[in-house]
Amino acid sequence: MTKELTVKNKINREPVNWAKILSPVFIVLITMIFTSFLIWTTRGNLLNAYYYMIVGAFGSLSAFISTLNKAVPISFAGFAVAVSSKTGIFNIGIEGQLVFGALGSSLAGLYVTGLPGFMHIPICIISGMLFGMLYALIPALLYVKKGTGLLVIHIMMNNIANLLITYFVVGPFAGDNRMIASTNPIQDSAKLPYLITTPNKLTIGIIISIAVACILWHYLNKTTSGYELRTCGDNSIAAKFAGIKVKRYQAGALLASGALAGLAGSIEVLGTYHRLYDNFSPGYGFDGIPIAMLASGNPFGVLVGAFLFGVLRVGSINMQSKAGVSSEIVLVIQGVLITLIAAQYIIRFAINKLVYRKKKEERA
Amino acid sequence: MSHTIIIAIIISILRLSVPVVITGLGNMFSVRAGIMNLGAEGMMITGAFCAVLGSYFTGNPWIGVICGVMGGMVIGLFHSLICVEFGGMQNISGLGLNMLAAGLTSFFCRSIYGTGFSPTVASIQKTGFLAKIPLIGNVLAQFSPIFYVLILLFLLCCFIVDKTVVGLRMNSVGFNPQMVETAGIDVWKLKHISVLVCGSLAGLAGAYLSIGQLNIFMEGMTMGKGMLAVIAVQMGRQQPQRILIIALIFGLCDALQLQLQINNVGIAPELIQTIPYIAGITALAMDSSAGIAPRMMQPYLKNKYKF
Repeated sequence: MTKELTVKNKINREPVNWAKILSPVFIVLITMIFTSFLIWTTRGNLLNAYYYMIVGAFGSLSAFISTLNKAVPISFAGFAVAVSSKTGIFNIGIEGQLVFGALGSSLAGLYVTGLPGFMHIPICIISGMLFGMLYALIPALLYVKKGTGLLVIHIMMNNIANLLITYFVVGPFAGDNRMIASTNPIQDSAKLPYLITTPNKLTIGIIISIAVACILWHYLNKTTSGYELRTCGDNSIAAKFAGIKVKRYQAGALLASGALAGLAGSIEVLGTYHRLYDNFSPGYGFDGIPIAMLASGNPFGVLVGAFLFGVLRVGSINMQSKAGVSSEIVLVIQGVLITLIAAQYIIRFAINKLVYRKKKEERA
Repeated sequence: MSHTIIIAIIISILRLSVPVVITGLGNMFSVRAGIMNLGAEGMMITGAFCAVLGSYFTGNPWIGVICGVMGGMVIGLFHSLICVEFGGMQNISGLGLNMLAAGLTSFFCRSIYGTGFSPTVASIQKTGFLAKIPLIGNVLAQFSPIFYVLILLFLLCCFIVDKTVVGLRMNSVGFNPQMVETAGIDVWKLKHISVLVCGSLAGLAGAYLSIGQLNIFMEGMTMGKGMLAVIAVQMGRQQPQRILIIALIFGLCDALQLQLQINNVGIAPELIQTIPYIAGITALAMDSSAGIAPRMMQPYLKNKYKF
C-alpha cells in the first residue's frame, strides 16, 4: 500500500501550485482589509459604504448597464497589458496609446463623411487602432533596435500624448462650443449602435470586448505563434536557442498592445462620449495594469477584473454621494492592489511555506 | 526693463527646478544602487501633504519640513521593503505607490479639511535674513531656505557619490551585487539606505512644493514633477552635475510655458511643455551605451527568501 502511494507520488510530480492560485485571493483580501480600515479611520460607516457601493453598481438595470459600459474600455486596456506582459514586456504606455486611439477615431468620425454606418464605424475603429499602434511604434523600434529601457520612454510618451491632446482639442480641432475643451461631435453614422436603450444605453462595445477576449485566448493557447510568444516571456534565452525570433515577437506584442489600447480609446469615443474631450480618460490605461497582472494574462480573467473595476468606479460615485466616503478611495484601492502585486513574490513564498508546513505535519 | 524681466525669468527657472533637482538627487542614489524608483511622484506628494499637516498642527513650518521628509521616507520604506527585502517588482511597486500616495493624500485631505485643498498654513517662502546683504540681497531673499539647503545637498551629493567609500560601494551594488557581497559588504543595508535617502529627499522636495513655494496643499500638486526627476536621472546617467543641468532645462521650459500663458504670444503652451519629453526621448534614443553593461535592476534576493 505504502509503496503504491509513493510510486503514485512520483508519477504525479506536478503538484498543485497553491501559491499561484491563492495569491490573487490573498491580494484582494488584504486590499479589502486595508480599505475597510481606511474608511473606519475616517469615522465612516463601513457597512453603509459597501452597501451603497454595491447598490450604485448593481441597484438597478440602469446602474448595471453603466457598470458594464465602464468595464469595456478597462477590459481593452487589460488585454493590451496582458499581450505585452506575455512576452515579458511591461507596457505602461497604454494611457498615451489609448488617448491617441481616441484621437484617431474621432478624427475619422469627424472628417470622413458620406458613408453608411456599417462602413464608417469599422473605418473609425481601424483608424483608432492604427493611431494607437503608430504611437507604440516609436518605443518598440527603440527597444528592438537599441535596447533602450522602455519604462522611462513610455512615461514620457504618456505625458506627450496628454499634452498633445490638450493642444489638439483647444487648437486645430477645437469644437464650436469654446466653453468645453472638446472637438465637435462625431457624425451620426460613426456612433456605435446600441443593444439596449430603454433604461440606459448599452453599446455593442461589450460584444467587441468579449470577442477580443475569445480571439486572444485562442491565439495565446491554441496556436503555434501564440505558444512561441508565451515562450518569449517565460524564458527568453530558451526561446532564442529554440530559434524563436524573440525581438520580433516582443515588437509585435508591443504593437498589438498599442492597437488594443487604441481600440479602448476608440470605443470610448464612438460609444460613450461621441466627441473627444480633454482628459476624457480617468486613467483607464493604469487600470489595465493590475487587472492583467492579477489575471496573469488570461483574457477571461481580464474580463472579470475589468468588470470588478467597473463596479468600483461606478459604485464609488454612489458611495461618495450617499455614504460620504470620498471616491478617491478607488485610487487607494488600485494603489494597494498594484503595490501588493509588486510584492507577489513574497506572498507566494509565504503561501508555499504555509502549505509545506502543513504537508510536513501530515507526514509526521 | 528687459534686465528685470531676465532676472525674473532666471528666478522662476531656479524656483521651478528646485523640486526636480532634489528628487533627482534622491533618485540618483536609488538608481545607483540598482533600484528603479518610479514612486518618486508618490513620495513627493506624501511629503507635500505631511509638510502641510505638520505646519498646520504645530504652526511651525520647519516642523512641517521634518514631517514632509518623514512622510517621503515612509513611502520609501515601503518601496525598499518590497523591492530590496522581498524581491518584488520595482517598476510595478513604484507605480502602485504613486497611485496609493496620490489616493491617500487626497482621501485624508478631504476627510480632514473637507475639500481637495488645505487652508493656508505657515510657510517658508522667503529667506528674510539674506535681505540685509547689499546689492543682491533682495534677489537672494526671494528664495525659500530649502533652496539654500539644496545647494548644500548638491555639493554633499557630488562629494558622496565620487569621493567616499559609501558612494562607490553604492555604485558597485547597482552593477554587481554578487561581487559586492563576496567582498563582505552588506548589500541589502546599502540598498535600503539608498532607497530611504531617496524617499527623504523626495519628501523634502514635496515639502518645498507645498510650504516652500506655496502655503497650501492641493490634490495632485506634484503634476508629474517626480516623473520628470526620474527622467532627468535616466538622461543624466546618474551624474549629479548632469541631473542639475537637465533639471534646469526642464525648469526653463516650464518657466517659458508660464510666461507664454501669461503673455499670450500665440504659441501653444502645451507644445512648449512637450519639449523636455521630446528632448528626453531623443537623448535616450541616441544613448549609445543603452544596451552595454546595464545596471542590475533585478531584485537581489536574500537566501532565506528563496524557494
